[in-house]
Amino acid sequence: MSTTSRGPAPTVASREDAPGLVVPAGVVPPPTDRWTSRHLLGLGTLSPGEIRAVLRRARELAPLSASLGPRDDNPDTPWALARREGQRLAGRVVANLFFEDSTRTRTSFTVAARRLGAEVVDLFVIASSVSKGETLIDTAKNVEATGVDALVVRARQAGAAALLADHVRCSVVNAGDGGHEHPTQGLLDAYTIAEAHGRLDAFDLAGLRVAIVGDIVASRVARSNIAGLTRLGAEVVCVGPPALAPRSLEVLGCRVSHDLDEVLPTVDAVMMLRIQFERHGTPAVAPLPGAAPKRSAAIASVREYRTFYGLSEERAERMKPSAVVIHPGPINRGIELDHAVADGPRSVVLRQVRHGVAVRMAALSMCVLASA
Amino acid sequence: MPNILIRGGRVIDPASGADRVADVALADGKVAAVAPFASLPRSPADHVIDAEGCLVTPGLIDPHVHLREPGFEDKETLATGTRAAVFGGFTTVCCMPNTSPALDLPELLGFIRERARETALCRVFPVAAITKGRHGEELAELALMARAGAVGFSDDGDCVGSTALMARALADARPTGLAIMQHAQDVTLTRGAPMHAGVVSARLGLAGWPRVAEEVIVERDIRLNRSIGCRYHVQHVSSEGTVEIIRRARADGQPITGEASPHHLLLTDEACDGYNTAAKVNPPLREWRDVRALREGVADGTITLLGTDHAPHTADEKLLPFEEAPFGLVGLDTALPLYAEALVDSGAIDWPRLVALLTIEPARLCGLDALGLGSLALGGPADVTIIDPGLSWTVAEADLSGKGRNTPFLGRAVRGRAVATIVAGVVRLARRPVAAP
Repeated sequence: MSTTSRGPAPTVASREDAPGLVVPAGVVPPPTDRWTSRHLLGLGTLSPGEIRAVLRRARELAPLSASLGPRDDNPDTPWALARREGQRLAGRVVANLFFEDSTRTRTSFTVAARRLGAEVVDLFVIASSVSKGETLIDTAKNVEATGVDALVVRARQAGAAALLADHVRCSVVNAGDGGHEHPTQGLLDAYTIAEAHGRLDAFDLAGLRVAIVGDIVASRVARSNIAGLTRLGAEVVCVGPPALAPRSLEVLGCRVSHDLDEVLPTVDAVMMLRIQFERHGTPAVAPLPGAAPKRSAAIASVREYRTFYGLSEERAERMKPSAVVIHPGPINRGIELDHAVADGPRSVVLRQVRHGVAVRMAALSMCVLASA
Repeated sequence: MPNILIRGGRVIDPASGADRVADVALADGKVAAVAPFASLPRSPADHVIDAEGCLVTPGLIDPHVHLREPGFEDKETLATGTRAAVFGGFTTVCCMPNTSPALDLPELLGFIRERARETALCRVFPVAAITKGRHGEELAELALMARAGAVGFSDDGDCVGSTALMARALADARPTGLAIMQHAQDVTLTRGAPMHAGVVSARLGLAGWPRVAEEVIVERDIRLNRSIGCRYHVQHVSSEGTVEIIRRARADGQPITGEASPHHLLLTDEACDGYNTAAKVNPPLREWRDVRALREGVADGTITLLGTDHAPHTADEKLLPFEEAPFGLVGLDTALPLYAEALVDSGAIDWPRLVALLTIEPARLCGLDALGLGSLALGGPADVTIIDPGLSWTVAEADLSGKGRNTPFLGRAVRGRAVATIVAGVVRLARRPVAAP
């Protein structure tokens, strides 16, 4: 079995960007020569230069992650950009291979692929056990054999996307693998933070401090954010109760704190994560049949959690004036995030969703064209 | 069966303390003579094996293998597992009871004995389950199974988690003279954890199996056993702390033994990087401090047993995502040079001590010394392994002679290999020519 694509990438200085790369307005450059991978499996194995290459590409595509407005055939309009980019993956097929459902991520990838001119097929494979039936690899190979150029993979097992990348020839874009990574989410979060702080020119986040609050240990979003944000120069502090934010996370290059009130006034962005009740084992007392479990073995009670780690309106007022609130969704309103904050002026949640399209367009086109 | 003359090897028999260049004569399935080099007359009917430059040792014994029969014959059988054993130099293996059905009845031990007689290439002795069905709820018939040929008791693969049940198991096993062998893992601390809790698991986004989950069980069991005095054996020790717990208990005079596996003596959790399922094993590969502690434990006599925990799985199973792939790796073919690398080349112990760890020590653990196994005593069983300690080779799939290919050691350059394995006077493996009359 080849493991070339599964180990950590060597960090080689020459993979860094040349500083000050200027893209002339209106000229869509070819896919950056600094991106060579057919796959996007995680941010933890990428260099800062590779991450910036995707983000730069996303910045160019940003006009396409919104409605284009009234039709306009002039050059240098979003419509002209849409026509050019709409040819980039023309004739190609992108398959959304989702072993877990996720409406927002799948929708975002679908819009991104269509904007690039690709055909999109959706495959849901919701199987409780693959061990004796068709394996993950079998499924992916069968889908690939129908002639797809890229698999967008969401699975509940860490390493699933990397495993498939080892066994198929087409591109694999990780749309979330268990507790490991969700790299396009990490990229769009970095993009959103860069935008909020005027760092879109170079995607250099040096001097910024970002808190990730909540269920870090079970969160692939947190892992991608820690990897991405620290590589771009930001400082990351993970905040949560010991069971959800254990000290052992510090090996990832972040700080760990159990005191949100101490951290909050010092940060430039705060990412609130929901507690993934479904990933923390059986609660001590089973919920009523049919009731959504709102207990987690990792916390004593929702009330206690909210008291210490929820972002209430009152807490949000103690943030720096320039600080923003982000959330990968879905939000457990009233637990980690109050309504007023979620919909308030600091919230850039909808900017995140919007940038997701541009980031995914960048990732898909760069991976598919790297394999062509 | 022909008589066999093994000439000119360095004969190491730790049970008697012998270590000298000598000839060994085997006749009628028994050790007929051990005599100074070239002093034994060669009778015309003898098969002769030239063992110059080699070690001639009692047949090697592995107290911890999974042969998967009955129930999981797609992974391994007694026939294929014992083939891997003799290719690796082992003449005796003790098979674990996590079969289907589990070996929890005296009748099933009889089945193993029959299948071994019909199909096995080396001696097979069953370790019986501690609890019925290995479910950890009800004690199995330990006394009856002891009478039916069990050589120890274990729920291996699962821990006996209930404190009350373990107390009863130790009490019931005590009069049988056999050891309770514990797979030490507090499962409340290891839910969903496919690997060691450390840097690599954090990076891969996998739940971690911490050292303390092993240590608390061993500490508890030793405490329970203090007033009982049963023989208690810790299987596949993986943690630095467990070594220290066993060291203290032995210093205290308690009948406690510990076992180390080749992979835990050589590899760390880094081997799991890239979601390498070949390195997914239970207990998990840990860190260098654990590797060092295990080697020190072997060196100072804390760890007195070596077991491969040979655990074959099908290729398909190991192609599952890391969290879903089964635990375990195959060990019989590759164990000998790996033990030598970890323990002899590192300077922890010398070859005679390694031979003891692979012969008389496991024989004593499982009561096989009473059958004359584990030594080269005159009149004892003609189980002999001839080892070329300098033979260099590289582990390839073709070297794996059981059904499983699941090992993280593929491609590793190693030194030392069994060149002949003789079981009850029958040459089962000969990588060197045997001169027939």
